[in-house]
Order: sequence, then C-alpha cells, then structure tokens
Amino acid sequence: MIRINPIIRLVNRNLTISINPGFIIWQILFPLIYIFVAGFAYTALIDSVPFGGKNLDYPAFLASGMIGFNIMNSTLISGIIIWNDRRHGMFEQIMSGPFTRTHYILSNIVTIGIIGLFSAALITAVGYPVFFDSVEFNIVTIPLIIFGSVVGAILFGSIASIISVKLRSSEGFNVIINTVFLFCAFASTAFYPVQGAPQPLATIFYLNPLSYLVDIIRAGIFGQVTDFVITEMLVLVGLAAILFVIATKLLTKLDF
Amino acid sequence: MLCIETKDLRKKYASTVAVDGVDLQIESGQVFGFLGPNGAGKSTVIKLLTTLISPSNGKISVLGIDSAKHPLEIRKKIGVVLQQPSYEPTLSAEKSLEKYGMMWNIDKKIRKKRTEELLSAFGLEEIRKKKMDDLSIGQRRRVQVAREFMHDMDLLFLDEPTVGLDPAARRKLLDFLREQVKNSGLTIFYTTHVLSEAEYLCDNIAIINNGKIMAVDSPSELKNRFGHEKTIKIHISTVSEELKSKLSTIPECQIKLEPEPTVIINSTKSEIVLMNILKILNETDTKINDLSAIPTNLEEIFLKVVGDSN
Repeated sequence: MIRINPIIRLVNRNLTISINPGFIIWQILFPLIYIFVAGFAYTALIDSVPFGGKNLDYPAFLASGMIGFNIMNSTLISGIIIWNDRRHGMFEQIMSGPFTRTHYILSNIVTIGIIGLFSAALITAVGYPVFFDSVEFNIVTIPLIIFGSVVGAILFGSIASIISVKLRSSEGFNVIINTVFLFCAFASTAFYPVQGAPQPLATIFYLNPLSYLVDIIRAGIFGQVTDFVITEMLVLVGLAAILFVIATKLLTKLDF
Repeated sequence: MLCIETKDLRKKYASTVAVDGVDLQIESGQVFGFLGPNGAGKSTVIKLLTTLISPSNGKISVLGIDSAKHPLEIRKKIGVVLQQPSYEPTLSAEKSLEKYGMMWNIDKKIRKKRTEELLSAFGLEEIRKKKMDDLSIGQRRRVQVAREFMHDMDLLFLDEPTVGLDPAARRKLLDFLREQVKNSGLTIFYTTHVLSEAEYLCDNIAIINNGKIMAVDSPSELKNRFGHEKTIKIHISTVSEELKSKLSTIPECQIKLEPEPTVIINSTKSEIVLMNILKILNETDTKINDLSAIPTNLEEIFLKVVGDSN
C-alpha cells in the first residue's frame, strides 16, 4: 500500500468538503460582475490610474485588484473549515485519528495556498482581456504574483482561523468575519487608487494588508517592481508570519 | 495480552477531579463495558485513553504503547466513536465513509468494497446519497459508527454509540459488534446508559462513579457479588387498615397504592419474607391478583453500586 502523507490526505479532505459548484460559480461570477460592470461603469469617472511608472485604465486597475480581493475572499474557507470542524465534531474526530495538530494546521495552510493560487489564476484568466494591453509578464513578475498569492492566502487564512477559533456561535462567526473582510476589501487599494484619497483614508488603506497584497500582484502583472513594493513584500511576509504563529498557537491550545 | 492498562490515572480540571486514581487492566479480544452515571468520568477516561487529553497524573498503556511517549502510534491503531456527533455536513453518507477511509490511507479498491459492505451492514443503502446534514440523528449516528470500520484497528472506543438509534438498529449494531469481536479479535471499550445493552454485549464491566472505579467484573459475577437482594411484587385487590398495620411489622416490604395496590418485597431472604406476607394476606382475606419475581439485572446492580458509593 502506498503511504500518502497525512497532510496531503487532510488537504484532499479539506478540498472535498469546501469546494462545491456554488463556491466555484461565486468565485468566477462575483469578480466578473465587478470587472465588467463596475470597471467599465466607473471609467467615465476615473479616466486613468497611475501605478509605478504607468498609467492604467480603470478596468485594468480594478481587474488586477480583484485578484487580491478574490484571494482574500477564498481564504475565508480556512476559517469555515476550522469552525465547521469544531461545530460538527470533526476536529476532535481527526485529532483522535492518525493525525497531529501540526498536520491539521499545515493541511489548512496548504489548502488555503492551493485555493489562493487557483483563485489568482482564475481571475487572471478572467481579467486578462481587460488588462492585457498593460501586462508586462517576465521571469520576475510571475513568481512575484505566486509569492503574493501564497503569502496573502496565509495571512488572510490565519485571520479567518483566529476568528474561527475564538468564536463558537455561527452568528458571531459570520458577523465578525464579514465585518473584518468587508472592511479589508473596501478600505484598500483593491477598488480605488490611493492617489486623491483624503489623507486619513490613505493612511487606513496602508494599515490594511490587502493593499500590500494588491500592490504586489499589480506590480507583478504590470512589471512595476519598485522599492516600495519590495518594502510591501517584507511587511506582508512579516505580518503573515506573526498571524500564522498566533493562529497556530490558538489551534494548538484548543481544548476538547 | 493486556490491551489497556492504567495506573493511578487522574485528571483534574481547576478544582474538579474528573478522574480519581483509576486502575484498569483490560485483556484483548473482549467487549469491555464502562458504566457510570452522567458526569461520572466515563468520557474523560475515554479522552485520556485515546490521547485526546493528557492525564494530570498516572500512567496509560494502550496496546502496549506508552501514551505519554507515543500518542500518535496509539491513535494509528485505534478507532474512536465519541459521544458527540461528528460528521461532514456537505458530504453524502456514502462519500463520508469513502473519504474517511481515504483519511486513514486505505487503498481505493478496499475503500469501495468496505463502503458497500458497511452501507449494507448498517442499513444505510437507502440514504447513501443523502447529505449528512439532511439525515436524522439516528441515521447520522449509524454513519458515524459505520465510518470507524472503514479502517483496520486493534481497539475500538465506543462512547454511547446507540444514542438516537431505534431498537432494531440498536440490536443490529450490537450483533455487528459481537461479530467483529468474534471474527477479528477486536477489543471494544464500550460505554452506555442502556444497561440491557451492556448485559447483552459485554464480557466484563467496570462501574465508575465520581471518577473512581467502584467495581470491575463479568456481568454474572457482578450479579453474584451484588445481586443477593431480590424483588418480589404482589399485586392485591384492596389495602385495608388491618393489612397495613400487620405489614408494618415487616421491614423488608412496602406498600404502593398507585397505579394499583402492590406489596413490594426487597430482601436477601425474599422467599422467607414472602411466606410471612402470604400468611398475613390470608389472615386479612386479601385477594392476590398477580405475583411476580423480578430477576436481578444489571440495572439493579448498577443502581446499588452507584447508590452505595454516593
């Protein structure tokens, strides 16, 4: 019998219970509406957006922002898996089987990474017709997009995990997670450029990790890797590491 | 060979002592019943034995493996059906079994075969495509127990597995478990509140109360040890004052008026007491409607052991 790694077995299980036709449709439909409806509708108001040394048209700016937004949204699954496992007794069941807490935590991270990458690839494919004029893929930018997708997925997956460990009621979990993710989505550079925003709002934008994720992905797509983007990468990695450690500690301490 | 061995096992939560110096020695290839009232410490002992929680004190050896040193090695060899439901709400009953087998690294062909066998053995064929979220509590419980047989194991912990099952499903499950022990040499650690189940299934039984083991033996030996007192019920037509007065001189009997007048004898010498009471009934011209002797069962033993320890 082939011995499959326990983490891979748990990832297989995580993907089976999480991915369903509704999830995939939502993952495609929601960004499509944003890119092709809001993107083109706002073109009358926002002519072009400066990014690095380029001027992007608004649909291209928005479509690239949607990649980061979708990565964040899809990592909600991490929180939902943990929350459901606790609510439906599967956490205890898994822990009484041939797995350790480390297996469980790592499998969640790998699941989020896979979903994050899948999500990024999906929106890149969907949004490509919108931003293909400005695209500058090269040997540095594609790994940058992958890097951003994975680190961003770990960061937001950790946030979702922390919330799911701390809250037991479904109402509490849904309210808190939606509030946090909605705030992250709209107080970021995913939908609007920071240039021209009032100073307090611009500051809030850069207290939000989604802005860093979105900027890194944009830098990858449009080939605009500046010093600021490198700083953003370091901040994102640092923040993701801190949140991942907190999430892991909380999961390790979770009692039966 | 000893399957489970604990020495001075203790578990303390803040000021509460959940398990208080439990010593167990359980041989392989049997169904070991673990009985006790609510909050007695049954589930805590199961969580300790399955390595879900660590003891505050004491030693645990499961299948010859030290639980403090190699908990994962133990978990690879045991099956666990915990007291609370556990299920994947988005999966069907069939997929639940199949995925659980995958989690245990069971080969795909074997998984398919076992899934079919278990769906049939647990009467789940009709609901195989139904989502777990849409099943009744009893149906979910059947899937939960069936799922555990997807993988190989030497020891199975079943914490109240028949909760929510109808009598037919319950009997089917008990027979299935007996068969497994007989055919594969599996050891089962079984807790239940239905004492007739324990009597039907278990080779040996431990009774726990307030975190301490009160008695360990086979059901028949427990009856011999604790079952000297017998109960005889005499249903009578009327209760006169004269009868009441005469019966009051016999301490081992009591009169109940509802739902029908009954004289109940609880005594280790119930036959002698019965003779005396029959004599009184004859003297007072009291008509006997029915007379029944209740054999000593595990429930009475349980109540006596738990009652004495309280």
